[in-house]
Amino acid sequence: MTEIFIEASKKIYNSSVEQWTKDGKPVVGYTCSHLPAEVLHAAGVLPLRLRGMEVSGLEIGDSYFGPFICTMPRCLLQMAGTGKFDFLEGAIVTPGCDSMRRLDECWRKAGKDMEGTLPSFFAYFDVPHKETDYAHDWFKKEVLSLAGLLKKHFVTEDIIGKLPASIELYNHSRKLIKELQQFRKKNDCRITGYDALAVSVASTSMPREVFNSELEKLLSKLKNAAPVKEKGKPRLLVTGSATDDIQIIGLMEDSGALVAAEKICFGHFKTIGTIEGNSLESVAAAYLDGTECPRMFGKYEERRDSILALIEESDIDGVILQNIRFCDLHGSDNGLLEADLRKKGIPSLRIEREYGPLVERERLKMRIDAFIESIRGNLS
Amino acid sequence: MRPETKAYNFDWMLWRTLDLACNAMTGTEKELKIVMRHIPYFKDILDVFLAYGEPGKIFLKLVYEYMDNIMTAHEKGKKICGTTFCFSPAILYAMDTVPVTLELVTVLINSLWKRGIGEFSDFCYEAGLTETSCSSQRGALGAYLAGLGETFDFIVADTPGVCDTNANAFAFASAYLNKPAFALTFPDRLTGDDVDNYHQKDYRRMIDFLEEQTGNRLDTDRLREVLQEIKKQDEILAELEELQRAVPSPLPVTYNFFIYAGRFFFAGKPLLTELLLSMRDIAVTNMQEERCGLPSGKENTRALFCYIDHYTTNLALWSWLEERGITHMGNILSRFWADNTPYNQNRSNAYNIDSTNLDTMIDSLAAQNSRMPMVKSIRGPYDAPGMWLEDTLSLAQMYRADCIIYSGTPGCRNTWGMVKLLARDTEEAGFPTHIMYSDSFDERVESWEATSARLDEFFAVRGLL
Repeated sequence: MTEIFIEASKKIYNSSVEQWTKDGKPVVGYTCSHLPAEVLHAAGVLPLRLRGMEVSGLEIGDSYFGPFICTMPRCLLQMAGTGKFDFLEGAIVTPGCDSMRRLDECWRKAGKDMEGTLPSFFAYFDVPHKETDYAHDWFKKEVLSLAGLLKKHFVTEDIIGKLPASIELYNHSRKLIKELQQFRKKNDCRITGYDALAVSVASTSMPREVFNSELEKLLSKLKNAAPVKEKGKPRLLVTGSATDDIQIIGLMEDSGALVAAEKICFGHFKTIGTIEGNSLESVAAAYLDGTECPRMFGKYEERRDSILALIEESDIDGVILQNIRFCDLHGSDNGLLEADLRKKGIPSLRIEREYGPLVERERLKMRIDAFIESIRGNLS
Repeated sequence: MRPETKAYNFDWMLWRTLDLACNAMTGTEKELKIVMRHIPYFKDILDVFLAYGEPGKIFLKLVYEYMDNIMTAHEKGKKICGTTFCFSPAILYAMDTVPVTLELVTVLINSLWKRGIGEFSDFCYEAGLTETSCSSQRGALGAYLAGLGETFDFIVADTPGVCDTNANAFAFASAYLNKPAFALTFPDRLTGDDVDNYHQKDYRRMIDFLEEQTGNRLDTDRLREVLQEIKKQDEILAELEELQRAVPSPLPVTYNFFIYAGRFFFAGKPLLTELLLSMRDIAVTNMQEERCGLPSGKENTRALFCYIDHYTTNLALWSWLEERGITHMGNILSRFWADNTPYNQNRSNAYNIDSTNLDTMIDSLAAQNSRMPMVKSIRGPYDAPGMWLEDTLSLAQMYRADCIIYSGTPGCRNTWGMVKLLARDTEEAGFPTHIMYSDSFDERVESWEATSARLDEFFAVRGLL
């Protein structure tokens, strides 16, 4: 029942994207959840969150980036250099963090070295690190400027005029994803964490119309689905660095847990609810205010409280705090969270990993197994 | 952390050591020789200061006063602000607040602590900060997180988007120590009315924060006093920069360190002016006598450091350069982009000090702060106008550098994301470029012996010596 989402979460050029390109429509990749996808959609472009799970080496990524850099942008560059992003007509890089922002220069340089590596539309999209009035003004200008670039390159119709319909479509999408969370409740859980994350990842990897339609079908099936087996399985929450690898969740569930919630960039991360208003300004405001990412420095307490609320709401037995190596932002947040969770008596496991195909499977499995074993005895 | 390390506050020990070092400088030659016998581990570092005569003495006094200000702040009723070298302390001095600049204190620990920053740095990891974070903050921060120093009253940083790892260390400290914090932020571009507008609004918001935290209103006369002193300092710095262009360079290699460390410690304070004047007098004399600033008097080659220097083991980099006849053409830390400096000719990205009224002064400070080291050059794409590549190449050409050297820390995500590209471009422009893989603040990553061997190899292989 979730095959289409699983395919979209595992394969960047999945069947729905393939169909989109066959219809002669452009795809633009982006790197960060601060990018207002509605604007791209209104420009007639498919916004596709870039992922790097399909690499089998890092020789290209390592040639441009230094060694002390998160593996995620290195995997993305490897994907670009090996032709796996050839279907993209454009890419937008955002300063989500210092590692990711330098994908801009590294990709451009690789584009000079290897013809065809760089998409014809390539933009850098600045996002402020605070939410003051003047930061909002700056961000609105950036969004407006991006709309202008898209309009010029893709010779699209009126983006502003099309925006209300795109906002409505994405609002509906967020509503559906929220509904999906209702099927993850204790003692009546109808969907595994593996499948739920696949849906979330797919939301950034499929044409939104197709995604909404498929998710509606899934929700309808879940209403009558049998609950997944929960007895004796600790309910986990996963948080930390960007995770689009459903295999990691699979690993946790294969070890005898049920992943009942996520607070990650590709999961139940965004706090953007329904965007009120139809304007570009309202989209910009929602995206600047509405994400819970440690790149917005000085908001640890808000993030912690939001995670604690999710733990309460989802009847969580233990928390996996994971970060990609060299992701100091999530890694340090995890350090603070570990201490705060300990104070509240909530078990947690802090792990550091690499991004990319699950090369560290056995090491992670050993630690996750031990963690699950340690909390299983406390289950009611 | 070992119990004995926790036995005394680390900043108290630094303070007392510096006091003794200052006293040693005023003793007779015989007394000094005896002192040297008793400090086998630190005699090299004291030697460095002694070797430079008056500037060395003033610099040591300046560092002592910096620590003295910290240690006596609370008893004098002043607030202590934890901050970064990317932030100009001028506004803090204007508001009678005492800065603790983590990176400077980290260098002090490395200079005065036999074991270096190791134990303090590792405590950060115990507290929850990643061990991949930048060692420049972790060194001193570990001690403060462990409660081994004077307590911060609040924190001001300015590196989100400039260096997220730096910004993250301060955000972590704020959450861990439960202290209020303010972070100045910057658009990814440097110039333009909209950019200036952003800088000015954010800076004013920071002043509101400072007023709230200190309980003091920003005093116009005091601010003017500080700015006028900065203007004087900028003029002397411009002279020193001009002198540095000469071949051979009349500036001793440590002057570069004195310039930026002095500015980070004491921007706007008269003692820094005194230091700069003493340096200028010596450099002018050297220039008049057509003498190189190196002790050997012979300049073999000229190296531009495109990022930072190396601060472990008795600050050995400088004596290593001296021994080989390599003059130091500055680094990203030593350029502040005042409008009168030689490297700002025909450039639109400088700041100037206008002390006409409170508004112009605040705008001047906002402009100055937005051009602080790193804040100016690595906030945007490395190859954008006024950014790292353009700055590095124009400085290398202007100062007739024979090579370019990158020294940083593994914690520096931002430069490690682009240094290979920069090195390719600088090599293409004709400058042999060496990337150091060591940690500028933590010798456990790579020993100085290994680092210097690689440097020797670079200079030999590229035929620079």
